[in-house]
Amino acid sequence: MASEMEHNAMALAPGANDHCYDHTVSRRRLLTFAAATGASLAGCGRHVKRGPTEIVYWTGWSGHELDVQRKLIAQFNQTHPHIRVVMLSQFGNSGYEKVRIAFAGGATPDVMSTVWADELAAYAMRDVLRPLDAYLIASHRDITKEYMPGIAKMVTIGGKVYGLTVSSSTNFIAYNRKIFLQCGLYPDRPPETVDQLDAAAKRCTAYDANGNFIRYGFRPSDLSMWVYPFGGSWFDESTGEITANSPQNLAALQWMGSYARQYNMRQMQAFSTTFGSSSTPNGPFYVGKTAMESTGEWERAFVERYAPGLSWGWFALPFPTGGRPQSTTLDGSIFVIPAACKHPDEAWEFLNWMTSHDAVKTFCWSIKNVPPLVSVSRDPLFQSDPLFRFTIPIQQGPAAFGPPPLPTWTMLKSAISRAEDSVMLGGEDPARVLNRLQEEAVRQLRRATEELRP
Amino acid sequence: MKSSVQAKRDTLNGLLFASPWILGFLTFVLYPLVASLYYSFCSYDAISPPHFIGLENYRIMLTQDPLFWRSLWNTLYMAIFGLPVSLAAALGIALLLNQRIRGISIYRTIYFLPSITPVVASSVLWMWLLNPQVGLINTSLHRLGISSPPAWLSDPNWAKPALILMGLWAVGGGMVIYLASLQDVPASLLEAASLDGAGRWAKFRHVTVPSISPVILFNLIMGLIGTFQYFTQAYVMTNGGPQDATMFYALHLFNRAFQDFEMGYASAMAWVLFVITLICAIVVFRTSARWVYYAGESS
Repeated sequence: MASEMEHNAMALAPGANDHCYDHTVSRRRLLTFAAATGASLAGCGRHVKRGPTEIVYWTGWSGHELDVQRKLIAQFNQTHPHIRVVMLSQFGNSGYEKVRIAFAGGATPDVMSTVWADELAAYAMRDVLRPLDAYLIASHRDITKEYMPGIAKMVTIGGKVYGLTVSSSTNFIAYNRKIFLQCGLYPDRPPETVDQLDAAAKRCTAYDANGNFIRYGFRPSDLSMWVYPFGGSWFDESTGEITANSPQNLAALQWMGSYARQYNMRQMQAFSTTFGSSSTPNGPFYVGKTAMESTGEWERAFVERYAPGLSWGWFALPFPTGGRPQSTTLDGSIFVIPAACKHPDEAWEFLNWMTSHDAVKTFCWSIKNVPPLVSVSRDPLFQSDPLFRFTIPIQQGPAAFGPPPLPTWTMLKSAISRAEDSVMLGGEDPARVLNRLQEEAVRQLRRATEELRP
Repeated sequence: MKSSVQAKRDTLNGLLFASPWILGFLTFVLYPLVASLYYSFCSYDAISPPHFIGLENYRIMLTQDPLFWRSLWNTLYMAIFGLPVSLAAALGIALLLNQRIRGISIYRTIYFLPSITPVVASSVLWMWLLNPQVGLINTSLHRLGISSPPAWLSDPNWAKPALILMGLWAVGGGMVIYLASLQDVPASLLEAASLDGAGRWAKFRHVTVPSISPVILFNLIMGLIGTFQYFTQAYVMTNGGPQDATMFYALHLFNRAFQDFEMGYASAMAWVLFVITLICAIVVFRTSARWVYYAGESS
């Protein structure tokens, strides 16, 4: 082709077409050349079609976790020559708003892990996600057998599976063994009940001469989680009723309120924020300014990074008499295939691979998260690790709760956190606050249900 | 005489040249504006198609959403207490920077600089300054002998004053406009006042203020609009807390739209905000006839 081009160039050069004959020839040649080029370009087009199908994947992970995912995707692309996964990171404050706008505009990618468990029901009920049941059956997969029961339930909305997870985390309390020892507590016998927790918290709290905190024992926060150890819940799926003001939920909020009566919460909050948030080197737990902190598996990586010498331990969320032992909430990123996906088969092939035993094992072990797959959790790699030996039974147990399948859950969750503030900082009566919350939640749900009714 | 054909062609050319703006305005301003008015009468989650529910959003807003009233009050608080303070501070600094002293342009630059800092960056900076235990502000107050200074952003009673305080740091924009107008105050009037025996205060009160009153009006209106849209600082620093003390109108609106799938409700909130801003602006304009003087007007 190169010589042909040269030839044409020569034919077109001034002076080369002195003869009429030459001129016509050159013009004909030019047309031939153009036709040949067109044909070869068209050939290229066909070639692209025969090459790998490109699917776009939006990830919600960042930092070293993103690096691990990148390696996995490179591995997938190498072993699946007919598909090429292009990963785009959507991490950040506006990432999830962008996801919502993408759904609104139907401009979603083929696969995404940028949907939080909290939002899954809201999206699923708005029909913007593709149910995965048919794919699961075709791939001979049964998530009720593969996944831990709480997680299998969490991704099933209205009887259909709308997403899969590759990692999970557990709520537990981390404690500083040295402070326990200093305060006359046995580091090997951490609290099991809320009474024991309260007593330990009191012992570990210390003030200076002016009555300012030097250290606090424990600051309870996150009512949406604490109702579970107290035997409560937010939604009764069997009756379809909101249960925000149930006696158990009230007991949980009253217990949290007891801290507000005993300690100056505003001062405690101000004191705890002094040392940065819990994910910074100055986090109160890492600098010995709090004895106990509500956390999850990620704590280990933070301790290694921020306070390598810290002697620490863990215990499950304490519960009252008649409450639920070994409870946790479940959340995190969910992999979904949007309804507007252009290559659903390829997207499923990728998702199927990402949620396979080997990929989940690599991912969870690299980022030190709990594997949601039962088979991986039984792997000697995870069973040899003391923290996982502690959290896996909690994850797998009957008291592991995903977000309630409500289209209004994100709204309710922020209302719960406001209710908590009115008790903890505003000194309001827990019963009144929860009754108000119940009314608000029922109203929100009624409105959303009317809106979603076809 | 121009033929009508020529006139038509001129009009067409004019429109053609203006068309990028006209198209942009129609697509990005007028259409969203009209659409949001329609959505405000709809139940709309931005994902499923909207359906008309009449005045329901407005009814819920006024009767069932305590956060609507709370956020409106918080925003009015900033307008009533924050805005006059920052207008006065901008004018005060402008007066100081209107002196003929050496290196005045350096001082002017220093005072103007904070207002070109991105709001997010300055908000993060102020989170540190306002830190109750280790922040520069409370450390200084401790040194001055105040044993228990406010917890600022952690205290519901002090969170808004803290934001007002922070706003004072960035009054450079208004200050520059004052400064420009201060240099236009007729020297002849000031001189005449001096000859009549007016002191500094009398000159300021009776010559300077009336002369720059159109600029005060401008800063007041712009400040009012800005305050009603107060968002970024609260979004970055407090996310509405503690106890909704910094839940401002625009933040509540944003949360409704992008957190709660309530785009219809958020649109209704936006229109209510528009009406409130409009009423305030009209009131200010109406009363301005009494205190704003334009050159050439007889007083």
